[in-house]
Amino acid sequence: MPAVDIAAPAPLPNLAELLKSRKVVKILAIGSSSTLGIGATSGIQSYPAQLSLILEAALKGVDVEILNRGVAGEIAESTAERIRSEVALSKPDLVLWQLGTNDALAHVPLDELEETVKSTVEWLRENKVDVVLVGLQYTSRFAKDQNYFAVRDLLQKIAADENILYIRRYDAMQFIAKTRANLDMMSRDNFHLNDLGYHCMAEHVAHAVIVSLYLRRLRPKAP
Amino acid sequence: MRALNEIDFWRGFALITIYINHIPGIYFERFTYRSLSLSDSAELFVFLAGWSMRLSIEGKGAPLPPGRLVLRLGGRAVTLYIAQLLITEIAIAMLAASSLLLDAPFLLDWHNASAVFRAPVEANIGLVMLTHQLGYFNILPLYVVLMALAPLIALIDRYAKPLLLPASLALYIFTLARGINLQTWPVEGVWFLNPMAWQLIYVLGFLCAAKEGIGAFARKHRFWLKLAALPVVLFGAWAAWTHFSPSPIDVPEPKLFFMFDKTFLSPARLTHVLALMTLFAGTYKVITPWLPYSARFLCMLGRNSLNVFCVGSVLSLAGQIFRIAIEGGIASDAFLVIFGLSFMGLAAWLSEWRDRLRETPASQASASLPASS
Repeated sequence: MPAVDIAAPAPLPNLAELLKSRKVVKILAIGSSSTLGIGATSGIQSYPAQLSLILEAALKGVDVEILNRGVAGEIAESTAERIRSEVALSKPDLVLWQLGTNDALAHVPLDELEETVKSTVEWLRENKVDVVLVGLQYTSRFAKDQNYFAVRDLLQKIAADENILYIRRYDAMQFIAKTRANLDMMSRDNFHLNDLGYHCMAEHVAHAVIVSLYLRRLRPKAP
Repeated sequence: MRALNEIDFWRGFALITIYINHIPGIYFERFTYRSLSLSDSAELFVFLAGWSMRLSIEGKGAPLPPGRLVLRLGGRAVTLYIAQLLITEIAIAMLAASSLLLDAPFLLDWHNASAVFRAPVEANIGLVMLTHQLGYFNILPLYVVLMALAPLIALIDRYAKPLLLPASLALYIFTLARGINLQTWPVEGVWFLNPMAWQLIYVLGFLCAAKEGIGAFARKHRFWLKLAALPVVLFGAWAAWTHFSPSPIDVPEPKLFFMFDKTFLSPARLTHVLALMTLFAGTYKVITPWLPYSARFLCMLGRNSLNVFCVGSVLSLAGQIFRIAIEGGIASDAFLVIFGLSFMGLAAWLSEWRDRLRETPASQASASLPASS
């Protein structure tokens, strides 16, 4: 599927800048069960673990260190609290924040969710830490759930407002589910991803990060 | 049953606030005081727990002999530990049952429960060792550790009083300077409420309850302390309102001293909760004549805080599941608050009724049953 359907590129200014001089990148992958890797056969199949391998292969000579801080079943407000602690303690260069699914399930009011995400994203920006939002997964169970759609759309709107990278996981997974029906990316509970699903997720995130990193370099200069 | 008092009143208040704050997304959460505060009800609850610990060992009579003191506080720690195991097991069963009834397997992962169902061998060991905690079920494990330390705290206070605050402060400073915390297992991580940092507020509660020392100083200089507390409380309200939080890049090392961190109870949060309590100390006497029934209700909850806390924890999880099953609106959220508070009140009332039955000789008790029921 077209890359732009997975994530519209957005600048990662701090990461791009430090890659010019440094060869070690520290990434904080934080969120809920999709970050922890529920549904995968082992921890090394979680998306952050696979992402570090893909990024290291793509960014030759760069050492990618990923901290996995997924807590299953957590809503964004709790994760936001942990982000501030983790950023202070481990000083990452990039935060991958997977969110939305549990807030949709818990029916957290949209204005509260927006406030939580925006204030955290802005706090990260003020602290020169780039952030990527990784959206909610597609599952046939919630294919007609209006609240689920509303959270998905809200995250996309926040990312556009804040000009940050947003991985449209829902759209990517829905596209694959509709066009490659024989490719089963979900675990038996039809809610979490399986190993293949996490592999695809890691590839999507890696692809979006790399495209965004070289965005300025590749974009044709205005005449 | 003890007389109405300020500590029970504020404990009751903290219990209600914890119940509402533990149903994320509930409409009425915005009206709890953490919307305008750096600290929240967890800090208040632990400070008052330290205060109550002194009340439980210092009655009107002669001081308890050391052996009895250790037994009483140690026994209380065991009670808290059993309570934590019980409510966690009930929570796990609730998640399992609702995942079946609602055909919603994702509930098995709710609030860090996944390991119980997906790695039961390790998780069951972790539950008993308190290294595996469900989200929102992490205040009692802290309280268990603090109560297990309570005999030591009480003995230092009795035999080497000047050492208690410096020792507690030194542990707090060391913990924040090094960023050390207890590990969780089998899910890799750390305790959400770090006992090595939070012990300080518990000790401060214990010391403030004393008739001499810090407690006497605070009561003697109440006016000036209130004056000093006001700007701290106003700053907390401003910080919460504007979502201000210090930048970890700009603050010097060790950064935890300058952040607003809940896990490590950073000094800003600690100072804020102390200021909040200083400012509101004594308002109980003003509130009670205006709202006598509410004050009696809050005191009743506070007098039975462990039972009410346990019931409140289980009810808040029930509330979360309810909001997942039936999309929450203001009306259903109001129902959750009214239902939860009523049930917590019922738990407190039943606890006291049982205590009264115990105190009454059997023959009188059976005679009084019809009137009570």
